[in-house]
Amino acid sequence: MKYTKKDYGSYRLHLIKTDKFKTITVRVCFRSPIKKNEITIRNILSDMFMQSSEKYNSRRNLTIKAQDLYAADIESTNSRLGNYINTDFYLTVLNDKYTEQGNFKSALEFLSEIIFHPDVSDNKFNSEKLDIVKTTCRSALNSLKEDTSKYSLVRLFENFSSNLPISYRMMGYIEDLDNITEESLYRYYKKMIENDMVDIFVIGDIVPEEVSSLIKKYFKFNTLKKARIPYLVEEKKSHRKKNIVKETIESSQSKLAIACVTKGLTAYERNYPLSLFNVIYGGGSDSKLFKEVREENSLCYTIHSVPNKLDNVIIVRAGIDKSNYEKTVELVQKCLLDMQKGKFSENDISIAKEYYNTALDELEENESRIINNYYMMELIGIDDIETKRNKMNKVTKEEIIKVAKKISIDTIFCLEGVKDERN
Amino acid sequence: MKEIKLNGLDVCVFTDILENGLEVIFVPYKNKKNYFMSYATRFGSEITTFIPNDLKIEVKMPDGIAHFLEHKMFEQEDGVDPFTYFSESGTGANASTSFDNTQYICYGTKNFEDNLRFLLRYVNEPFYTDENVEKEKGIIAEELKMYADIPEWQIEDRLRSAVYKIHPRGIDIGGSIPEIMKITKEDLYTCYHNFYSPNNMFLLIVGNFNPDRAFSIVQEIVGGIENKKKPIIKKIKEPEEVNTKEDTMLSMVSVPKVGIGLKIATRKLPKYDDLILDLYLEMLTTLCFGSSSEFRERVRKQKLLNNLYMEWESLDEFKTFLMIASTDYPDQLIQEIKKELVTLPITEEAFSRMKKVWVANEVKMVDSIDNMIHNLFDDLIRYKKIIPNKVDIIRNLKLEELKKVINCVDFNNVSVVKMLPDNH
Repeated sequence: MKYTKKDYGSYRLHLIKTDKFKTITVRVCFRSPIKKNEITIRNILSDMFMQSSEKYNSRRNLTIKAQDLYAADIESTNSRLGNYINTDFYLTVLNDKYTEQGNFKSALEFLSEIIFHPDVSDNKFNSEKLDIVKTTCRSALNSLKEDTSKYSLVRLFENFSSNLPISYRMMGYIEDLDNITEESLYRYYKKMIENDMVDIFVIGDIVPEEVSSLIKKYFKFNTLKKARIPYLVEEKKSHRKKNIVKETIESSQSKLAIACVTKGLTAYERNYPLSLFNVIYGGGSDSKLFKEVREENSLCYTIHSVPNKLDNVIIVRAGIDKSNYEKTVELVQKCLLDMQKGKFSENDISIAKEYYNTALDELEENESRIINNYYMMELIGIDDIETKRNKMNKVTKEEIIKVAKKISIDTIFCLEGVKDERN
Repeated sequence: MKEIKLNGLDVCVFTDILENGLEVIFVPYKNKKNYFMSYATRFGSEITTFIPNDLKIEVKMPDGIAHFLEHKMFEQEDGVDPFTYFSESGTGANASTSFDNTQYICYGTKNFEDNLRFLLRYVNEPFYTDENVEKEKGIIAEELKMYADIPEWQIEDRLRSAVYKIHPRGIDIGGSIPEIMKITKEDLYTCYHNFYSPNNMFLLIVGNFNPDRAFSIVQEIVGGIENKKKPIIKKIKEPEEVNTKEDTMLSMVSVPKVGIGLKIATRKLPKYDDLILDLYLEMLTTLCFGSSSEFRERVRKQKLLNNLYMEWESLDEFKTFLMIASTDYPDQLIQEIKKELVTLPITEEAFSRMKKVWVANEVKMVDSIDNMIHNLFDDLIRYKKIIPNKVDIIRNLKLEELKKVINCVDFNNVSVVKMLPDNH
């Protein structure tokens, strides 16, 4: 695998040459500081890219074009990276070796058509398509509660903080949706194309010089950009007491979602001991939470924890019966306390390290994870894979305990299922 | 071992069958670090009634027993938890139960040989006690409740029971809470001894490993296991007509959902090879309702459709098409779908384009070990073999033959289920 990077000022181009894959994957990433009232419009814009373009004036025509390129996959998604909102365009297409000469070039041209030539006339997006996209989006926003797992997470974050980016609903807001017009969407589009920071990644069995010149031809950005605010979100001013919130819903199962905060972690602690802490605590299928809550007490089918490193948060989630709420929360606390007291073995640590090493090995087998690793190296300065492996293997028990002591439970949200047992 | 080349995909498959009937399928990759293995039995939720190999009378097991057994496989007499064992080498492990199979998987990059030994051993050493069976009931009840809260799951269950009258496919894979509460350790042993027999199982491995070494491990561990006599499973006399034409249910949804099930008796279709028949049927619905169909464009413009999920399922005597849609206008959408099933606008251009897409997808699939194993697994369950020339078969599909298939289908044999918001 050979990696090269070029900074053209208006964007950075990352090329990764490897013969591991029969496909070539391209990821174009746009990002800017996140604003709560811009999430919805950005989601609508993402959907509009996939509805039509200047040349392909319907979703069907776009799909047919992609199919003609030997089933090229194209998608556009939004996500949050700490203080930033990130829009990705993904293109996955078979290498010309398996299709025909020029297919990759045509696929790149197609991607560039979608990004730079949207379905716009007179500085307005096509109103019929916007109407369709808004309707679908409204319907999705209205059905948020149908997915109790997702809903419980949204409500946990809203109760966790009233202003930090983690509290923003990434699916958007009905109020903002209503205000989007053909004109405002186009203004937002121009702003994104002109002001967003951009990284482009291409991975596959490529000739870097050729790809480089194709990218230069099809992706033209003109303005110079610099990151103004850090990616890492500031630490939350903590509640004195635990913040406990309950809501009821007509469902059979209750969803427990807990946000723990981390205080004063160093970059090293965030990237290494914290990862091992999480695997031992609730990340793996052999974790303390899994063993104590599920296996020993039969309180749930799923339970796990995930660190949200850029937000200084660790989230614990479980699906439980509401009568088991107290007992489950107690065990979640007890397991955390055990971690702080060092009640885990050297063997647990070496298992966690193995788990991490395997994840690194597997990362190298997956195009989008390879890209993501380079992207995170670029944005938040994480280490490369080999350095990661070395540093992780050296983490000590004391370092994990030190991190555990910087973690505390902040907010507990329980979405109580109150549907009568009918079966 | 027999070597089979997958045409057009640069992949070789090695297969063999042990004397006791265990089928072994290996797909070694040279340029990957990871591997994925699946040890499977052709026993899923569908089989609850059978005459055990040591009895003369038919028994009826509680619904959901195959899934319950899958959970309890992780219980070992020596107390070694399989999850813990695999974790020690950073290996992931899991298991899943479907209508017609149960599989035990592990995937990782290290400790291949010992992990293989362990996988084969633990699935061959059941250990059920009254206590450990009782303890599992709470966990599975939570799992069932988790699924029961998902609207798409509810409507799919309801749709299957509208399509099938007596076939157990109409029953949820996990069973129901009252049914699983009845399960005893004796029930589990009975199922285990009837269906976890080498001649009812296979081992599939894809990725970075040495097939010769792996084969000798399989012989060492499983070679000595004797085959059990096969239980007798009576043929289910499922009527050709759908069970219910129309059904409406209320649920805590804000946006209504619609389920449509088309039931086709295989005996009415042309006598093609099963795979070819499935490909033609898949082609039919992809052209009519797929992402590049005119139908999709039309209902999108009319704002009748938010999202659509569709699949075919293949039973011994039936081919069933299931469609689940989220829509604000259920009745209009149903009309549009029914209209489409009558007109069937299929063109030569779309037909050839779709063949090209399918061939490209086969080639793309090879890049990912996960996709590759899932694909081969499905073929082994559905067609009971590896298909070496799928790419050629796709290339040779013919529009005239698709039309012949279409002419045999009764598009009125359809169940429609509506899920409406419960506004009490």
